[in-house]
Amino acid sequence: MGLPGFVALRYLVASRKRAHVALISTISVAGLAVGVAALVISIALLSGFQDHIRAEMAQRGPHVAVLPERGDRLADPAAVRRVLEELPGVLSVEPVIEGRGWLSDEEGTHATPVRWRNAPAGALPPASDDLPPARLARGSAGRIGAGVGSAMRVTSQRTRLSPIGPIPVSLLVRVAALAPSGSDGAPDLEIPEETARVLAGSPDAVRAIEARLADASRASEDAARVAAALPGHRVETWRDRNAALSFALRLEKVVIFATVFLVILVAALNVVSNVALLVVEKKRDLGVLTSMGAPPEMLGRVYLVLGAVIGALGTGVGLALGIGVSWALNRFELVPLPGDVYVLSHVPFALHGPELVMIAAFSLATATAAALLPSRAARRIAPGEAIRLSR
Amino acid sequence: MLAIDAADLEKTYTGEGAPVTVFRGLSFRIEEGAFAAIMGPSGSGKSTLLHLLGAIDRPNTGRVQVLGRDLAQMAPRERARFRNENIGFVFQFHHLLPEFTAEENVAFPHRIAGVSPGESRRLAGELLERLGLGERRGHLSRALSGGEQQRVAIARALARGPRVLLADEPTGNLDAAAAESVFDLLAREHKERGMTSVLVTHNPELARRCDTIYTMSREGISPEVGYPGRG
Repeated sequence: MGLPGFVALRYLVASRKRAHVALISTISVAGLAVGVAALVISIALLSGFQDHIRAEMAQRGPHVAVLPERGDRLADPAAVRRVLEELPGVLSVEPVIEGRGWLSDEEGTHATPVRWRNAPAGALPPASDDLPPARLARGSAGRIGAGVGSAMRVTSQRTRLSPIGPIPVSLLVRVAALAPSGSDGAPDLEIPEETARVLAGSPDAVRAIEARLADASRASEDAARVAAALPGHRVETWRDRNAALSFALRLEKVVIFATVFLVILVAALNVVSNVALLVVEKKRDLGVLTSMGAPPEMLGRVYLVLGAVIGALGTGVGLALGIGVSWALNRFELVPLPGDVYVLSHVPFALHGPELVMIAAFSLATATAAALLPSRAARRIAPGEAIRLSR
Repeated sequence: MLAIDAADLEKTYTGEGAPVTVFRGLSFRIEEGAFAAIMGPSGSGKSTLLHLLGAIDRPNTGRVQVLGRDLAQMAPRERARFRNENIGFVFQFHHLLPEFTAEENVAFPHRIAGVSPGESRRLAGELLERLGLGERRGHLSRALSGGEQQRVAIARALARGPRVLLADEPTGNLDAAAAESVFDLLAREHKERGMTSVLVTHNPELARRCDTIYTMSREGISPEVGYPGRG
């Protein structure tokens, strides 16, 4: 250990015996610890939710989608399907047949606008009668008083020609399941593919073709391959489609980090006063060390190390506290959520190594930087005066 | 050869009150190897002169040369290294660092010079042993008697084998027996090491045992009054 570290550590250890310095040192360490713990818990909370949302995005949605570059229908859906089916590790390839319309009860007394689309194969419960099964979002169901088993009429924006002119395409479905609310981007109504084709008004109307992959992280590579094979098409990955949400999640984390970091900044002010107090207390020692040949920068480093040591103590305690609390909250599900409102039963907390390292680094750097000012003062102390006035 | 050559020094302290000029136009020269005592009333500037000679303070005007080097011409780092290698300081109130043991205090000059911690402690331990403080090496400075503290402070000043030793009333805070013992130590080390030693003291008995006595007053520093120690 270098001389500055040796002196700084001894000062810190010895300061326990002087009540006022010990109190301020304890407050400095405790302040940093509280700030770091608050930051760890806040970021763990956000990470918990965000990990869940990302997992949902990767699990629920398709990983690669091919759309027409212009218009709303693929010119050759079969060719697109072939390319997607040749991707390594492809799990399923599904057409997208979707549109907008109105959902009403059988009597037509209550209605609500809906976005409908075909459900992935096997995603819907089997039909209980002649009516095609449908999965309805809880929000839409609530607006028109529908429940599982209700027969509902779907009226598409598409029209078909009749003897009296064009009339909207309309058919009855049976609500077989309710979808939880909160799934961003999910359709209001999911129906079988054949039913969707009828509502679309054309048996060949395919808006896009989507593929699910065994490994969602390969989506970008596979999308590039598909784009090369299908010129004149737009190829999107699940990341592209959720780019705005991903950005919002990242932004949310940055804002929370910056806000909670203010606690650490305030705690760093305690470090300034703590180290400054030791500079004043040890003014004579600084003069004596100078008389022995210690250069000013060596004296300054003593107090920088002191700030770093206080920072390391506070950061260490704060990390242990934050990690422990986050782990316990997550492990024992101590913050429950109402299951009928949220898709999660409890608030999740997730600890990510790189984030913990970043929090520790920021905290340490802040505490050390806080010691810069008193450290500069230590470098500027006139040794002769320090010794003369300490008699 | 001159060990110390200070010419036309002026030192004025400017604090919160009116500026206080301690001395003006003061010149002071000492041959290498001399053992000089400086006497004078309180406030005459003896300690201030020592600080200027030891490069821990600067004169407002004038020039200080120690071992042929002009202190004002040195950069701060160079001046620090010069102090570490060539000048030993002993203060009236020992000024040992209270959080550290006697051995650690004596090891400080070595550590500052960049000597490894283990080697520094070994050298410090050897010196304390030689000065009869071997059993006290592991004690914190506050656990030592006044005489022991001052002897440890002398050991610290001697640690790097300085060519110039500046002692500011090293016996001023001690009883007669301890003062005698500390002075004996200083005199013995001066002789054995062939250093140039400048001792500020109020004790005429001890001053008379030095080679040269200088007397400081508001008017300046007097020419030497003899060589009582050699008489």
